[in-house]
This record gives sequence, structure tokens and C-alpha cells, in this order.
Amino acid sequence: MGFQNSVKKQSKHALLDYLRAHTRRVVLGVTAVTFSVLIGVLIPFITRFAVDDLVDGGVRWSTILGYACAYLAAALCSASFGLWMRKLLLSLGHRIEYEIRRDIFAHLTRLDYYFYSRQRTGDLMTKMTSDLNAVREFVGQGILQGARTSIGFVLAFGIMFAINVRMALVMLFLLPTTSLLFFLLLRIIRRRYEETQEQFSIISNYSQESFAGIRTIRGYGIEDRQNAHFARLNETYIDLKMALSRVERPLWPAMSMLFSIGVVLILWIGGRQVVAGELSVGAFVQFMQYLFILQWPMLALGWTINLLQRGLTSWKRIQSILDAEPQIRDETPAESEETAPPRGDIVFDRVRLDMGGVTALDDIQLTVARGETLGITGPTGSGKTVLVWLIARLIEPTDGRVLIGGRDVRSFPLQTLRRYVGIAPQEAFLFSDTLANNIAFGLEETDLEKVFTAAEVAELSPDIESFPKRYETLLGERGVTLSGGQRQRTAISRAIARNPAILILDDVFSAIDTQTEANIQARLGSVMTERTSIVISHRVSSLRHADRIIVLENGRITQQGTHRELVEQPGYYRDLDEVQRLEARLETES
Amino acid sequence: MIAPEPEIHGKLFDWGLTRRLLAYVRKYRLMLFIAVVFILFMALVNSFMPVLLKVAIDDYLVGGEDGLSSAERIAGITRIGLFYIGMAALAFLFRYVQSYLMAWTAEHIIYDMRADIYEKILRLPLRYMDRNPVGRLMTRVTSDVDAMQKMVTDGLVGLIADLFALFAIMGFMVYLSPRLAFTLFAVFPVLFAVMAWINRNTRRAHRQVRYRQSALNAYLQEMITGMLTVQMFNREQRVRERFDERNSSLREGWIEAVRWVSYFFPAMEILNAVSIALVLGVGGAAILAGSDAVTIGVVVAFLAYIRDFFRPLEDLSEKSTVFQTAMASSERIFGLMDEPEDVLDPKEPVPIDHFRGAVAFEHVAFAYVDEDWVLRDLSFRIDPGESVAIVGATGAGKTSIISLISRFYDVQRGCVKVDDRDVRAYRQVDLRRRIGVVIQDPFIFSGSIASNISLHNPDVTREQIVQAARYVNAHRFIEKLPDGYDTRVQERGITLSTGQKQLLALARALVQNPDILLILDEATANVDTESEQLIQEALKRLMKGRTSIVIAHRLSTIRGVNRIIVMKHGRKIEEGSHAELIQQEGYYRRLYELLAHQPA
Repeated sequence: MGFQNSVKKQSKHALLDYLRAHTRRVVLGVTAVTFSVLIGVLIPFITRFAVDDLVDGGVRWSTILGYACAYLAAALCSASFGLWMRKLLLSLGHRIEYEIRRDIFAHLTRLDYYFYSRQRTGDLMTKMTSDLNAVREFVGQGILQGARTSIGFVLAFGIMFAINVRMALVMLFLLPTTSLLFFLLLRIIRRRYEETQEQFSIISNYSQESFAGIRTIRGYGIEDRQNAHFARLNETYIDLKMALSRVERPLWPAMSMLFSIGVVLILWIGGRQVVAGELSVGAFVQFMQYLFILQWPMLALGWTINLLQRGLTSWKRIQSILDAEPQIRDETPAESEETAPPRGDIVFDRVRLDMGGVTALDDIQLTVARGETLGITGPTGSGKTVLVWLIARLIEPTDGRVLIGGRDVRSFPLQTLRRYVGIAPQEAFLFSDTLANNIAFGLEETDLEKVFTAAEVAELSPDIESFPKRYETLLGERGVTLSGGQRQRTAISRAIARNPAILILDDVFSAIDTQTEANIQARLGSVMTERTSIVISHRVSSLRHADRIIVLENGRITQQGTHRELVEQPGYYRDLDEVQRLEARLETES
Repeated sequence: MIAPEPEIHGKLFDWGLTRRLLAYVRKYRLMLFIAVVFILFMALVNSFMPVLLKVAIDDYLVGGEDGLSSAERIAGITRIGLFYIGMAALAFLFRYVQSYLMAWTAEHIIYDMRADIYEKILRLPLRYMDRNPVGRLMTRVTSDVDAMQKMVTDGLVGLIADLFALFAIMGFMVYLSPRLAFTLFAVFPVLFAVMAWINRNTRRAHRQVRYRQSALNAYLQEMITGMLTVQMFNREQRVRERFDERNSSLREGWIEAVRWVSYFFPAMEILNAVSIALVLGVGGAAILAGSDAVTIGVVVAFLAYIRDFFRPLEDLSEKSTVFQTAMASSERIFGLMDEPEDVLDPKEPVPIDHFRGAVAFEHVAFAYVDEDWVLRDLSFRIDPGESVAIVGATGAGKTSIISLISRFYDVQRGCVKVDDRDVRAYRQVDLRRRIGVVIQDPFIFSGSIASNISLHNPDVTREQIVQAARYVNAHRFIEKLPDGYDTRVQERGITLSTGQKQLLALARALVQNPDILLILDEATANVDTESEQLIQEALKRLMKGRTSIVIAHRLSTIRGVNRIIVMKHGRKIEEGSHAELIQQEGYYRRLYELLAHQPA
């Protein structure tokens, strides 16, 4: 696989494709920009004529009033085009942002365990928030300001050259210089800004560590030292921030200074021409106005280039998600054939699984008969969870095959396969939604009848009845935090609500007391007879009723048999049984 | 249990909070005063520049009646140009100095505040720390403080500068032409009303956007973390639909916000045009009437003023958002500062040089919450130099004994004594520095191996560090690390195994040379037998000659102590040496049998 990375691949996902779908909007928007800018550069003519008429005198007030009205009318037109260009182009940015985000998310739902075990949630979130923002600005502001700036330049300079070549040349020299200076300064500012950000993340990591390690800090009485070090980090931060200030603070003052120089140059050169009678006072004022009209585009140029650079970098990062291919996917398109449901014996055929350079499972040869209940136990990290994951194809064997009813699990469409497998995982992931929706998570619709039954079987209903809002109780940060046992029972309900052909309970009784567990087991018993069940547990009480029990140690099956058989032979299972009986005795004695 | 965080929206202005903020500002009032003076100068200089333009046009460009020669007119223009540049340079200087001073002041105010928050958090009750996730506390020292800083540098200064600028412009307008000025002032109420209206709606739309954005982010974060569950249950299609609801609601929110933003600039443009048309109309009439009050230069200067007048209004909505966010942040910050501290130092602490090492519990009752008693009427005595093991089933209250001797919590009844004095008589820091706590999953700080042993204590030399490491069997593995004692660990460094971490923590405890040793000896997974032996051996050495209390889970540790205290449900039920207790055939005997069967 390694060599593939070195080959530069062209990404299938281009920003241009997103834009192409909005061609009409872009064309209309740019047209609006053109008109808005065009009217904008024509308006100074009105001022010019008005000033010239006033200097010459001998006009009637109605003429001046006409100029004023013309000015207003022109401004009204320019403003309407201005409104349209913003509406069209800025919302374009948001529309495309929406589409990209939609596509990334859809792609995320297709990516597998391998992807998520490599990626940190924080990084993914950053890509979908700040990187996406940068792309949005790139599209929205980028097109808007890019068009405004370039069209503004061409039109304004066209007119200026038509009026007075010498002054136009002065402007032509001055304005791009400003743009360049602005752009260069922005780059230095960005670099220094990144330095401050780096120091800032050092500070925030340091405080995170202090708060997480508060017991150690207090235990050793070193609060003073921590405070002093925190202060030192902050002093460095101040220094960096002030270094940033030294380039950032003069930015705008320097820009105004440059424009003042522009004003003076117009005054000196234009003034001479006015005195010489080569230029009218009105034209002089008109030039002055172009200086101010161009002031913004000039700065926007540097800003826009900056925006484009950032947008492109961010887009590359977003592409990296879109280009990631899931390793676990349907071999053939899902719709192509209606596959028979996965029923029958589950067979692990010489399965080996390597994860991160470590062998998690080795030489697994195991058959779980249809309708059988299999118990799995073994020390932490012996590979119990990944073993059952193989059945639902949440992970794939490095060697060997997993078969259901004689067919390789890879030959079933993922959707079909997973519809028949119900897993109650070790660490149930509960969504911040209502309890009912959490239990009904695997159902097509929230069918309350099924929810009630599932909660009943999992002994969750008494707890739910005690909540004021019962099944409508919200879980998560803004709602109720469930206890470990309640979470596990919710996970059980969720798995059985789907009525799966294969039910997998992955250590879901550890936080549930033995009496409740016995009740759940009894209820499950009637449900379990019709289906294949796999129960992972560290507790003998959860395992003893299984048809067969296997012991996994270091990724291998070391013992196999019924409870009766296993307690007879020396080994992990017998020790486990012994300890738990002693524990029970201690427990009962009070 | 994690407590939900109350939501704070923040007002634009809150006098109570402002007063507390001012307390931080007071220290830098001189700097602030100088900065404000500079802002004032800057406003004056800036608004004076159009006056120069007026003079240039009226006196030299239009020519006037005094009939100046061309040369004189050009000389005049040159002079005014030079003067203009001089003023611009001055404005540049004022503005730069002012904004640099403000940045300096803001950074220092924020520095003080951040230090206060950090120190406060280190003093907060552990109960508070348990209820509030680290991430939330982090927000206080990071983004909340940041919001405050933005308010000082951008919000506050911007506001002062804008106000000064507006008043200066209005002043010069009146000076140049009262008639034109007051005509324009008549437009201002309309201007402000329109701005306020658009501004209000923009802010509302943006609030809506922020709300929807965070709803979307929360959903996204949840789905990314729970994606495998989604796939396990075939729910991809449905979560895509749910996501789309949030995503498109955000898009609609943005489009609404864009609508108001799109109104803003055109509205400004139109109002700007109205003002200019007024100046042209009214000014033109005056000039044509031959009035002395208005000249061409005045009209041109007014055009410049109108432009300058509109500019500060452009980012008004951004500024009010800055204020609002900062107020919400300061409310959270001061809320944290007001959080009561529970374990306090005595007014006149008993000084400690060394403890002899006598520890006693006298009728101690203790609960973490309310009446949920963890210890009930517990009494025992431990003599200097004695080693004692405390055993019992899970939940018997063993661990809290360690917390109470170190005074992480105060007892509800009875007292805990060290050297025959209540622990509350000592300064917490003094007490804890004389007590060494060894836990099985020690906290490793990012830094070097050496700094993790010395905990940055400047009095600990490298030799002492190495000696301690040797003594507790840690030297051998440290030596094999890429940079030995200077190897970086945690963040951007190597990861240590559980066994290595434990050895490191033993060295850490030894360097401190404690008089009393508290050991939490849980059976931990993931430690290979070889490291286990090294740890046991090191523990024995460490305990030699020191008062030691071991919360024991392993037979090997229990066998090596002088005395065993057996606990159950927060009470002492049996006490004696291992041999005595085994003979009693009581609770200990059965506990012992259980431990003997525990898989290694």
C-alpha cells in the first residue's frame, strides 16, 4: 500500500464542480458587480461638473439641483446593484459551504473503523469548521472582492487615463505599491500570528495538564511552582503578542498615511495643472474621489489574495477526507442482487487479525451453530470484542474467513448483514436524544410498542418510570446522565429492539448487580432460544447458562466447553469461578 | 457526576461586572490615560486635514480675487501639501503609539486576569473539579479571557476613538459652515435610525447563525464519535437526513444574515449620497447667491467629512457583538472567581520542620456528598516509623483515608491528627510536602524524565535525581531511553509503560524525602512480572524507617507490614498482625483467601 502514497493522485473532488452547478448565480452576480462598479466610477463626473459650474458661476440653482438629483439617482442604482451582488455572491458561499458539508458528512458515514481509529475527532471537526469557513470565504468573498477589485481597477484607470495621463500614471504607481505593501505586511502578520497561536496552545495545554493533574500538584504542594511557570509562559506570550502588535498595529495607520501621500501628490501635480489652466477644479476633485474609490479595492486586493491562499490550503485538507476510501465496503453494488439473509451457522475459518502491528487474534477456528448461545470470557485485551466485530464486518480479518450459513460475510451487502446482527457494545454510545429514540435507534421508525417491550426485557422500565419525563427524557450534556448500569441496559434494549437473528452482548452486565442480571437473563432466555446469541462476560453468572463457553487468552482460544466441563479442568475459567464464589461469600457476610 | 453548564447570553453592558473589570484596569490607568490623550490628538489631527484641502482649493486653485501670480499659487499649493504630509505623519504617529500602548495595556490586564483565574482553579475544592470537566475550566483561561482582551483592544478603544472622531468632525463642520453643518445634522437621526434597525436585525440573524452552528457542530461531533454505532445499526441514511436538517437550517440562517449585511452597505451608500446631494444643493445655492459663508473648498471638505463620518458606523455591529461576548465571558470568569473554597489554611499555622510521623484518626466521620457516609466513627493510631496496611472490600472507605491525611477534604466529624495536632492546624502546602503519596496510575507531566522526578524543584540537584532513581530501580530503564534523564515524555515525547510510570512516581516521592508515606497499592493490569518485582522491592526500601500507610490489595504488601487494620463499610472491624488475624478466623481470613485466588 505504501507506494500508492508516493504517487501523486489527482483528487476526484474539485471545487470547480461545486461552482459549476451555480453558473447562473455567478454570472448574475458578476454582472451586478460590473454595473455597481461602473456607476460608482461614473458618479465623480457629476461632482466634477457641479464643481466646475460653481467655479465658473453663471449657472442657475436649478442646474445644481439637477446635479444633486442625478447624484442621488446614480447612487440609488449603484446601491441596488450593490445589494444584488452581495446577496447573490455571499449567499453563494453559504450554499456551496452547505453542499460541501453535506458531501463530507455523507462520506463520513461510509468511512470505516480503520479511518476513525487513525483520525482524531478534533482534527475532523477543525476540517469541517474552520477549514470549511475558509473555503466559504474563498468562494463568497473571493469572487465578490476579486470581481470588484479587478473590474474597479480597469474601469477607474480607463477613465483616469482618458482624463489626465500624468495623474493617472501617478496613481498607477502609488496604488499597486500599496497593495503589494499591504500583502507583504499581511504575510508577516500571519507568521507572527501563528507564533502567538503556538504559544497559546502551549499555555492551554499547560493549564489542561494542571487541571487534570490537580491532585498530584496539591499532593506535592507545588502550586507556587505551577503558578510561576504559568506566569513565565504567559510572559513569553505577551512578548510574542507585542512583536505581533509592532507589525500589526501600524498596518492601518500606514495605509492612511499612504493615502495622504496620494492626496498630496494629486494636490501638487493636479494643482500645478489647475493653475496652468490645463485642468479644471472639477476634474481635480474628480481625481481626488477616484483615490478614495480605489482605496478599498487596493487593500482588498492584498486581503483577497490572502483569502484565496488560505481557502486553497483548507480545500486541500477537506479533499483529504473526501478522498479517503473505506476499506470495508460492499464488494458489489448493494442493489445489484437481492441476497438471501445471513442465516445459519457462524464459522470462523482460521482467522487471524493484526491490529497496529500486534496480533489481536490468531488461529481462530470456531463454529457457532444456529440458535446456539455461546459464552466468551478471558482477560482484558485478549481479543473478545474484535472477535464479535468480525461477524458484523466492523473490522476485517487479516487472514482466514468468517462465514455465515456457508457464505463469506464479505459477499453480503453491508446493510443486509448488519440488519441481522444486533450488538450491545461494551461502551454503549448514547446519543443526546430522548431515551425512546435511543432505544429505537436501530429501528426504521420509533415504534413505541417495541421500545416498551425491549425496555421491559432489559429491566430498564422501572428506571424509566422514575424519570419525570419517562421515555421522553433527554440524555447527554443537556439532559440526564445515566448510571453505568442504566447505560448498559439501554444498550441491551437497543440491541434487542431490532429483533436480530444474531444477538451479541459485549460485557453489558459488568455494572449491573447480579440479581437484576439474573432477571434480564431469564427474560432474554425466552428470546434467545430462537436466535444465535453470543455473550461476552467476566462473570461466571452470565456465562454458566450458555450452551458452550470459550476462553480467549492472548488472541487464542485456550479452553472450550460447557460450564460444568470447564470448572472441572484447571485453567482460567476455574480460577475465575473460584474467586467469584469467594467474593460472593464476603459480600453476603455482614 | 458532571453538572450542566448554565447558559449565559450576556448583556451589552453590566455595571456590576464593569466595576470588577475596572479593578484590573486601575493598575494601568496612567498608560490608559496617555493612550486616550493620544486618541484625542489623533481625532483632532485627522479631522483637521480636510480644512487644509479647503484652503488649497479656495485660496490657490480657484484663485480668489486677490489675484495671486501663478508662481505664488504653486508655492502655496506646495506649502499646503507639505503641511498636509506633516499632519498625516503626526496622525500616523499618534495612531500607532496609541494603539501600541493600548495593546500593551490590554495584554497586561489580561495577563493579570489569566494568572488570577489559573491560581484560583488550583485552589478550587476537589468537589468542584469533579463536577466540572477540564475542558470547561480550560475555556475560562482561554476563550473567555480572549473575549475580554478583544473588548479592551477593539471594543473599548474603538468606541472611544470613534466617538472622538465623530465629535471632532462635527466640530470642524460647524466651524467651516454652520449652515451646511446643521443641514447635514438633520439627516443624522435618520441615519442612526436606519443603522440601528439594520444593526439590530443583523445581530439577531448572526445570533441565530451562531446558535444553529453550535447545534450543527454538536451533532457532528456526536456523530463522528458514534459513527461505528451508527454503522452497526444501519442508520447511515437517517443520520444523513438529520444532519441535512441542521445543515440546511444553518444555510438558511446564513442567507438571512447575508440579506441584512447586503442591505447595510447599500443603505450607507444611499444615505451617503443623500448627504452629498444636500451639500451640493444647499452649498451650491449659497455659492451662487454669492454668500461668503460657503465656498467650493468648503463643499469639497464636506465631501471628505461625510466619508469619514460614515466609516466608524460600518463596524458598529461587530463592536456591539464584541461587547456582548465579553460581558458573557466576564460573568463566567467572575462566577468562577466567586466559587467558595472549602479547605482553608489556618490564620496562624503551626510551622513544620519535620514530622515524627504519628498519625491518628479520632472518631472520624466523612462523606463526599451530603449524608452519604464513607467513613463512620473511624478511630486508629499509628506510631512514628510504624507500617500499617489497611484492607477491606471495595467501597469500605480505604482510599478516603489517604485523602484525609493529606487534607484534600475536611472531615465532617472527629479529627485527623498528625504529630498529635489536627491537620487543620498546619498550612496545607507544609503538610503535604512532608507526606509522600504513591499511587498506581501516577500523573506524568509533559516535560523531561528529570523534571517529572524533581517536579521542577530548584533545590533538587541532578545527582539527587539520579540517586533517587537508582534507589527505586528506575535508573536502569531511564538510562536506556534515547536522551536518558532528559528524554521528553507525554506530549510530543515518548509514552511510558504503566510499570515505568510507577517507578518514576516512586523516585518522585523519594526525592521529596517525606516523613509519612501513603501508598495506594491497587492490583494493576499491564505490569509485567519483572517490573512488578522491581516495584515491590523499591516500595520496601522506601517504607524503611518511615511511617507508612498502605491501602493494600496484594498479599505481598500486606505480609510485610507491622499491623493490619481491616475495614468494612467505613468502620474498623478487625486489627492486628497477619498471624493474629488469620487465627481469628474472621473477615480478614476470608479476604485473605480471596486475594490468594485472585489471578495475578
